[in-house]
Amino acid sequence: MLYALMGLGLSLITGILNIPNFAHGALFAVGAYFLVSFVGVFQNFWIALIVAPLGVAFLGLVIEYAGIRRLYAAGHDYQLLFTFGLALILSESIILVWGPVGSSYLPPPLLRGGVDLGFTFYPKYRLFVMVMAGLLVLATWLFLEKTRYGAIMRAGIENKEMVSLLGIDIHWLFTAAFALGAYLAGIAGALMAPIRGLSPTMGVDMLGIAFVVVALGGLGNLLGAIVAGVLIGIAQALVAAYWIEASTVVIFAVMAAVLLVRPQGLFGIR
Amino acid sequence: MALLETKNLTKSFGALTAVGGVSLAVEAGSLHSIIGPNGAGKTTLFNLLTGSFPPTSGRIILDQKDITGTPAHRVAHLGLARSYQRTTVFPAFSLLDNVWVSAFATCHSWKGFLWKKKEGYSEAFERSRQALADVGLLEKAGQPARAISHGEQRQLELAIALAAAPRVLLLDEPAAGLSPEETRRMVALVRTLKGRYTIVLIEHKIDIIMSVSDRISVMHFGSLIAEGTPGEIQKNSEVRRAYLGGVAA
Amino acid sequence: MKHPWILILASILLLPLIVRPAIASEIWIFAMFGLGLNLLLGYTGMLSFGQSTFFGSAAYVAGWLLKYYGINVFFALGIGIGVGALSALVVGYLCVQRSGLYFIMLTFALNQLFYFTAYQWTSVTGGEDGMPGVPRPEFFGIDFKDPLVYYAFVSLLFLLSLFLMKKIVESPLGTILQAIRENEVRADAVGYAVPRFKLLAFVIGGAFSGLAGVLYAMLFGIVPLEAISFVFSGNVVFATLIGGSGSLYGPVIGSVLFIWLSESMSNMWARWPLLLGVAFVIVVMFLRGGVVEAWTRFWIWRSSKQRT
Repeated sequence: MLYALMGLGLSLITGILNIPNFAHGALFAVGAYFLVSFVGVFQNFWIALIVAPLGVAFLGLVIEYAGIRRLYAAGHDYQLLFTFGLALILSESIILVWGPVGSSYLPPPLLRGGVDLGFTFYPKYRLFVMVMAGLLVLATWLFLEKTRYGAIMRAGIENKEMVSLLGIDIHWLFTAAFALGAYLAGIAGALMAPIRGLSPTMGVDMLGIAFVVVALGGLGNLLGAIVAGVLIGIAQALVAAYWIEASTVVIFAVMAAVLLVRPQGLFGIR
Repeated sequence: MALLETKNLTKSFGALTAVGGVSLAVEAGSLHSIIGPNGAGKTTLFNLLTGSFPPTSGRIILDQKDITGTPAHRVAHLGLARSYQRTTVFPAFSLLDNVWVSAFATCHSWKGFLWKKKEGYSEAFERSRQALADVGLLEKAGQPARAISHGEQRQLELAIALAAAPRVLLLDEPAAGLSPEETRRMVALVRTLKGRYTIVLIEHKIDIIMSVSDRISVMHFGSLIAEGTPGEIQKNSEVRRAYLGGVAA
Repeated sequence: MKHPWILILASILLLPLIVRPAIASEIWIFAMFGLGLNLLLGYTGMLSFGQSTFFGSAAYVAGWLLKYYGINVFFALGIGIGVGALSALVVGYLCVQRSGLYFIMLTFALNQLFYFTAYQWTSVTGGEDGMPGVPRPEFFGIDFKDPLVYYAFVSLLFLLSLFLMKKIVESPLGTILQAIRENEVRADAVGYAVPRFKLLAFVIGGAFSGLAGVLYAMLFGIVPLEAISFVFSGNVVFATLIGGSGSLYGPVIGSVLFIWLSESMSNMWARWPLLLGVAFVIVVMFLRGGVVEAWTRFWIWRSSKQRT
């Protein structure tokens, strides 16, 4: 489910802004670290959970405004390099601020322990994450499908010129899209913190997976990203049950295979 | 003998038929023009001829051989070269390199192309110089393409096609965007090429068409509505209606 | 700049006086890596973020053979070049059909594929710990374990690579690749099978990367997992860009700067990659032509000043 969140965010960014955002993984990591810090500040998981992703979104806003904006005309290569450098800056800053060693983090008392599902004990927190992520995806989906702003964003994916011709400031659209994508990455990171703990490199692993989700779903295809995210999550769990080492490798093999056979992804149109 | 022929050439993009059942025969050594209002399918026809995409149906025949479906990069080797309506050269290259790239592609011997210096290929070099000389750009051979004027770039556009030493030249609006003086020069240039090459010309400026063409084909909404000598076309009322808009020629 | 070769030769001779021979070797190894990348990036216009795939694969295979089969140094070089070229052939074949975002994503995905394979296949690659114990066997009395001897060896190979690359970029192939960069559609239209040429560029770049990879493994005696990571790819891209991707010598200058700076800074501040990221961003946003362009502009400015 978290994969779906990441994928959705990245798909939005690549679809609207048409840039490869190599910093997406780092934003994810920042989300996780922000959560922990804000919990320290507010002494409350729930408040932190709300605030942390907003912090990431704000960061995303600044990034877009100060940096990415200047590079739209420069071409994919420079955008890639910029986000790559950015990812480096972010992950190094994380180490600077929070130290190089990862740590584990416990979920809030309300969500500890497991739930008896009949055939197995399932951690309460993971259930919570699934539900929460699912709700977020649904909420984002509804926002994009049903509201006016969402419609503008989707139109932006399809045809940027039209949107600007309609009198909408395309620059703010891009900024908003990036901020939203960052928000999704941030909250995914925050949710992930109690599951896998924190580590400065957690962003790098996620980045790859986010790209796989987007590639499979089709660049800019938001529903595709959601479905692909869920599929990948399930697939990884399945493979891990039988051949744990191969689980990550398989994901990339699948991505490569799909990109070759159907470059538009499983659901893409372009 | 017709050097280049199309038989019932059709290209549809979904419900839109860009080119519909066009049958054309271009005599060797002649200058055959294609005219028609915007959107008539002229450039699409050129794209079909040069293999940018395959036709939906119909055939293309060059020198008695069926070349339908040949991909773009092979078409140049068959003896068909094209200049484009929108100038598309190699901006950072010098003029010489611009034409050299074209000349080298269709050169006979590529031996040592990984390590020999470019100057070692005399055939390509000669063709390059000749092409630039033909269009009158030889003195500027060392300058980068993006530094010359638009009119000169149109000439370069043509030189790139010439450097391939083709049998058939497809010229897509060579006078596009040129001033009257530059247009006159372009027309004179095309006249010098007549006879040396078989030329298929797309143009909008009627006076050019009338003065250089041996034969004219008129397209409208993807189909051929008329064909004949300049004189015949001028008198053709259907053509007048569709294209000249009823203006007395 | 009139005589780059003299400058390079001088650098080669003087460098070991300024830094440790090991670092000097690393510089020229990285420069070879950069030359390979620049054929793709600067000349053909393809940003391949997966060069470390070929670098790392060559390092692992050659390292393995050196360690367990005791092959000699020259054979190892051959293996390195071969593996680099072969892996580039496979990856390139899959990637050249796509362009733009898809190309970038595909090279990235394939790199990750190799990376995680290396990460998990611990019995062969040692996973996170890397593959230690890569020897530098003696050859007919030449003791490669001596840092200076190895340095001389590396420098010679570097000069050879530079010479070869110079030949290639000045050949028709060089022009064809640049034509593809300048106007891919037209290059196709005038008669070049573009994907095939891109693939050729990939393979050549891969061969150079492979060579660099083997030398790297032998230099440090270990094949670290990082060598096949895309961060490492990023480093060589960065080094090439700061030097300037538009010229043959750009990657060389960039590598000198990059390795020298990274080695000296990592001693002073463990978080120096932060500065690297910042520098990256600055170069991308303001100094696209790299050092070479800055230098050229400086000279043009200076000569115009002198005239007035």
